[in-house]
Amino acid sequence: MNNGTTRIAGTIVTYGFVGLMAFLSIFPFLWMLLGATNSSIDIIKGRMMPGSALATNIATFFTQVNAPLVFWNSAKIAILATVLTLAVSSLAGYGFEVFRSRHRDRIYSALLLTMMIPFAALMIPLFIMMGKAGLINTHFAVVLPTIGSAFVVFYFRQTTKAFPSELRDAAKVDGLKEWQIFLYIYVPVMRSTYAAAFIIVFMTAWNNYLWPLIVLQSNETKTITLVISSLASAYYPDYGVVMVGTILATLPTLAVFFFMQRQFVQGMLGSVK
Amino acid sequence: MSELQLNDVRKSYGNFEVIKGVDLDIKTGEFVVFVGPSGCGKSTLLRMIAGLEEITSGDLTIDGERMNDVDPSKRGIAMVFQSYALYPHMTVRENMGFALRFAGVAKAEIENRVGEAANILELGPLLDRKPKQLSGGQRQRVAIGRAIVRHPKIFLFDEPLSNLDAELRVHMRIEIARLHKKLATTIVYVTHDQVEAMTLADKIVVMRGGVVEQVGSPLDLYDDPANLFVAGFIGSPKMNFLKGIVEAGADGTSHVRLPDFGNATLPIAAAGATPGSTVTIGIRPEHFGESGSASLDLTIDMLEHLGGETFAYARHGDGELIIIETKNGRDLKSGDGIAARFDPAEALVFDADGRRLR
Repeated sequence: MNNGTTRIAGTIVTYGFVGLMAFLSIFPFLWMLLGATNSSIDIIKGRMMPGSALATNIATFFTQVNAPLVFWNSAKIAILATVLTLAVSSLAGYGFEVFRSRHRDRIYSALLLTMMIPFAALMIPLFIMMGKAGLINTHFAVVLPTIGSAFVVFYFRQTTKAFPSELRDAAKVDGLKEWQIFLYIYVPVMRSTYAAAFIIVFMTAWNNYLWPLIVLQSNETKTITLVISSLASAYYPDYGVVMVGTILATLPTLAVFFFMQRQFVQGMLGSVK
Repeated sequence: MSELQLNDVRKSYGNFEVIKGVDLDIKTGEFVVFVGPSGCGKSTLLRMIAGLEEITSGDLTIDGERMNDVDPSKRGIAMVFQSYALYPHMTVRENMGFALRFAGVAKAEIENRVGEAANILELGPLLDRKPKQLSGGQRQRVAIGRAIVRHPKIFLFDEPLSNLDAELRVHMRIEIARLHKKLATTIVYVTHDQVEAMTLADKIVVMRGGVVEQVGSPLDLYDDPANLFVAGFIGSPKMNFLKGIVEAGADGTSHVRLPDFGNATLPIAAAGATPGSTVTIGIRPEHFGESGSASLDLTIDMLEHLGGETFAYARHGDGELIIIETKNGRDLKSGDGIAARFDPAEALVFDADGRRLR
């Protein structure tokens, strides 16, 4: 095989692989959109064309689900979890990078090790803790365990490495205390990092399913993911309605990503240039 | 009255001492430059004056007041950093007024001072721009402006020109000198570039390994270095050093023999050196010429023609390179043999420990 043929073969394999990956990523989304326009029977039959049941499915969804309440519950949890996680984890990441102490690296390593513990192993102790604190069936019980995220602390510490130490020095000479340096210099300078972390944490909190399923027991406290799941696990599930719910549940995360994507990319590359 | 005093100031990180007892007296309005090779402690000393590094022991006083434990913002200093350290999310105007805003200065007064500094530094048209919209030189001027608006007693500059290209560096050097003349404020300036030090300073502090090697005016240090290190550090191209052995003459005088230069003997009096002891002879490149009672037979290895002058790199046999500066070097060629003559009175003599013998 000459060089030209090898290059063409390589290109075909590359494009084939990328195309396959793109299809695998897009297919569920496409199925969700098409499914929302079809009846449950058509979906089960595997129909992959636009149907005429969209209006019926939407009407059924809003009849079966108290949409304003479940969306409000999801939004409340996602926003609260995101704001608190960013506040706590960015402070921790900044602190780990900026302040030196003898035990800093040991504590940081211990924190990172917690990422290796599967959530399933923590569920029972967490449930008992929440029970003792009287927080079962409250949104606070969903939010609390997510605030101290080792991953987000790690992310902030890594990005803080690019935060120039001379900015801190200049701020000290200008008369700022450490908390003021954090608030007035670090936060605005690192806003792209915050934006990227906001998207990641918000999407995780919005899509959170397992832990809310355990601690949220009444219909008044349930989130959209739990409600969609209960629709899908009904005795006669209406998949068209489930698809409508899934589309609606996807919209807020899509909107967040759409509005913040530029800063997300910048944040992933590093805030400080 | 002395404005800034350091008395036996030391700094240690654990058991490692980086500043080993510095005594220094800086008078009001003086332009003092700390120079030295990388890692000599000059920036650390500056940061200790600024309050960004704790002082392990010793006293730092400004206007007679002990400042060791005083906050950086309350020491009456302003600092210009190597990377400018401008707040990227603020405009030039906000950057310059930020410290004053935090100090609770009235808005009108902030505007006045920012305007005044902008006039001095010709920053008027740039006041509403963000740092990323400025060139390196403009950023440096903003950093200086940010320091000026605070009306400090002492300006601290930490290698402020090292991020600029050669042309801009020369331009900014002149600007800083002009600014010092205009403001007549004390400046403590750190650089590793001895040309900057020579051109800007009233007083140079040469440091090595956390120790002050010598303090003096630029020309004092150039003409009268206290030791081999200062002699080699100050001056560009650097001083030539020749190893020699002191020998007693028949008439009771002494001279120096240079084994690496065909045992040439130089009529140099090495005061205090005993016959047989090893010394180092220091000769500046510009002190070589066509006249003088001392002479070295050399072969030119390489030439650098700079137009106005020529640097000839020459050696005796396989010995060390000697740099010779000459105004009449246009006709010289590599491989030419020359007799490099000099006046023995221009030569400096250092003992085996590098101390100057006078």
